[in-house]
Amino acid sequence: MGKIELTLKKEPTFSLEAESISPDNFKGKTQKDIANLIIFHGNEKLTLKDFFDIKGTAGNNLDEIEIVINGNLSKVKRIGEKMSGGAITINGDVGMHVGNTMNGGKIIVNGNAADWAGAMMEGGELEITGNAGHYVGAAYRGNWEGMTNGVIKVKGSVGYESMIWARGSTPKKRFPKLICGSAGQFLGLHNHGGIIICEGNAEARVAADQARGFVVVKGKIGRMMPSFKKIGEVSEIELPDGEKISGKFVEYSGDHATSAKTKGRLFVAK
Amino acid sequence: MKKIKNFEDVVCPFCGTLCDDLKIILEDNKIIEVDNACAIGTAKFFSSNVSEHRYTKPMMRNNGKLEEVTWDEALNKAAELLANAKRPLSYGWSSTECDAQRKAVELMEICGGVLDNTASVCHGPSLLAIQDVGCPTSTLGEYKNRADLVLFWGSNPVHAHPRHMSRYSDFIRGYFRVDGHLDRTIIVVDPRTTHTAQMADMHIRLNPGEDYELFNAIRALCRGVELDVKEVAGVPIKQIKELVEILKSCKFGVLFFGLGLTMTKGKHRNVDAGISLIRELNEHTKFNLTPMRGHYNVSGANIVFTWSTGYPYSIDFSKDYPRYNPGEFSAVDILKTNDFDVTLIVASDPASNFPKDAVINMLKKPLISVEPHKTPTSEMADIVLPPAIAGIECEGTAYRMDKVPIRMRKVKNAPEDCMADYEIIEKLIEKVKELKGE
Repeated sequence: MGKIELTLKKEPTFSLEAESISPDNFKGKTQKDIANLIIFHGNEKLTLKDFFDIKGTAGNNLDEIEIVINGNLSKVKRIGEKMSGGAITINGDVGMHVGNTMNGGKIIVNGNAADWAGAMMEGGELEITGNAGHYVGAAYRGNWEGMTNGVIKVKGSVGYESMIWARGSTPKKRFPKLICGSAGQFLGLHNHGGIIICEGNAEARVAADQARGFVVVKGKIGRMMPSFKKIGEVSEIELPDGEKISGKFVEYSGDHATSAKTKGRLFVAK
Repeated sequence: MKKIKNFEDVVCPFCGTLCDDLKIILEDNKIIEVDNACAIGTAKFFSSNVSEHRYTKPMMRNNGKLEEVTWDEALNKAAELLANAKRPLSYGWSSTECDAQRKAVELMEICGGVLDNTASVCHGPSLLAIQDVGCPTSTLGEYKNRADLVLFWGSNPVHAHPRHMSRYSDFIRGYFRVDGHLDRTIIVVDPRTTHTAQMADMHIRLNPGEDYELFNAIRALCRGVELDVKEVAGVPIKQIKELVEILKSCKFGVLFFGLGLTMTKGKHRNVDAGISLIRELNEHTKFNLTPMRGHYNVSGANIVFTWSTGYPYSIDFSKDYPRYNPGEFSAVDILKTNDFDVTLIVASDPASNFPKDAVINMLKKPLISVEPHKTPTSEMADIVLPPAIAGIECEGTAYRMDKVPIRMRKVKNAPEDCMADYEIIEKLIEKVKELKGE
């Protein structure tokens, strides 16, 4: 069991590029090696120990590594980037790109996360107990394949354009999934097989340009897209990953702007 | 004896239309007449004459007041600020020529800073949409000769690009449009009855901020899908169907769009939907689109930055290689989050149009302004470096809104010892390199 604890001892003046904080990068390193991992502060090349107090060691078994980070990390970016196993617990608000492109392991943020949390995730789990910014689980600029697998859970709200260009596949058993409290506009834009469950209200333009996939809104939608068509009413939804949601929903097909025979489905609580 | 000089076919360095048929008359290095240009272009040429609004000498702030200094003093101080900066930000670059923009990339790369141009608050969203879904486009000349349907969406060329309609999109006679205006159908989609809308054959008056919904409704109707709703964005379905028929039945259509799409709710997604519509219309007819670029060389800034870094704007060099992410490395976001220590503003005036908190943050830290005229930004700056005005007082290349490069001419001399933008940046690069020991 490799538990390692980082505590922010100095607030960074500029944003801190901390992609070196991940179980993959800590694996098999001594505490001294970890303390000397590179971190960018503006254009300055510094080391982890310049900003963090470090306790414990990581060990050699990736899946047993647990990193705990404490402090106001709202200027610390890219924690857990590309991680493939182990766990990170963040106690405090965290900056942009937390858990982006991760493909395994678990990140828990006990606080709020800034934009791009879990962007282009390939697997694993990201949980945020507060609110998340824009582009949660989204595709980076110009990418046609966003999140391809894994689960993101946000207890509070997610901002604009969350889970855009999600790319799931039932035959390949890849089910990218986002569960959020409420959402800003363009939730699940350009969806290609992603699963989105919004526990509360969603602002507008939900599932716009969706080609296939499932979006479930348990609250209200501020403004429905005109290019969605009502199919009927259901009392249970079965999602492609096997999960079942019961309750009275109105089922819509869409977005018909992108295809007349779209396989996309949108369920809104009745 | 006064010396009169005439210049013909001068290029106008004001808007993205880059008119190239101006006549300028000079009397002893003073512009006394500008012919063929619109009111805005004319004003820009006259503004180059020395006046109380024009800087002629470098200035530095001393005890809260801007005072004249020598070029060496100003450049040394500016270079020192940039060389020691841990996160410098450079913004602007759209109202100058391509050589200066090329130097901008070099300077920010050496300084490990953030480089952004005005596209990030204007047509940047169009670029994001183009990166997502592509862009069927052509030159303005093609539109002039071929287009029988011109759709202005969220743009008002009568005021923003005053000669656009007479040179390319409405009144001009083209090879296949021999009757000019009579040979074209003009449609304007705008929440307001603008002067362009008043001249149009059809005006779709939609609710503000609902362009995205309207685009997708049109796209679905184009595919023959019957919609459940009776109106979209305040426009009755009957009128939208009428519009769809016109769009599908034209011979060659063009969509010109402006900030009504890129800077209203939905931003790049409005353009994304617009481009998708054009792509689908190409299954029925020939249809293209072109963004109505504002600054005369903002298109050039995107092109120069792209061929040198791979990205059109919002570029971060802090890790020695370029990274791109509008929203993270765009000037407004960097300023709002206080993620910078020095700003270098060239050929732009963010203090007049950025959000208040971004401007307040910008003014709290050292600010270097390369600017020929007194602007709110330059008047608040710590160092002002006065350049020659590109396209009037020095040569240079600019890219028109359709990405056609045009060589601009020099018609008069700059006042006193003002240097071209690229010379100023070149000198800064030399000095920063020296300070950094490179």
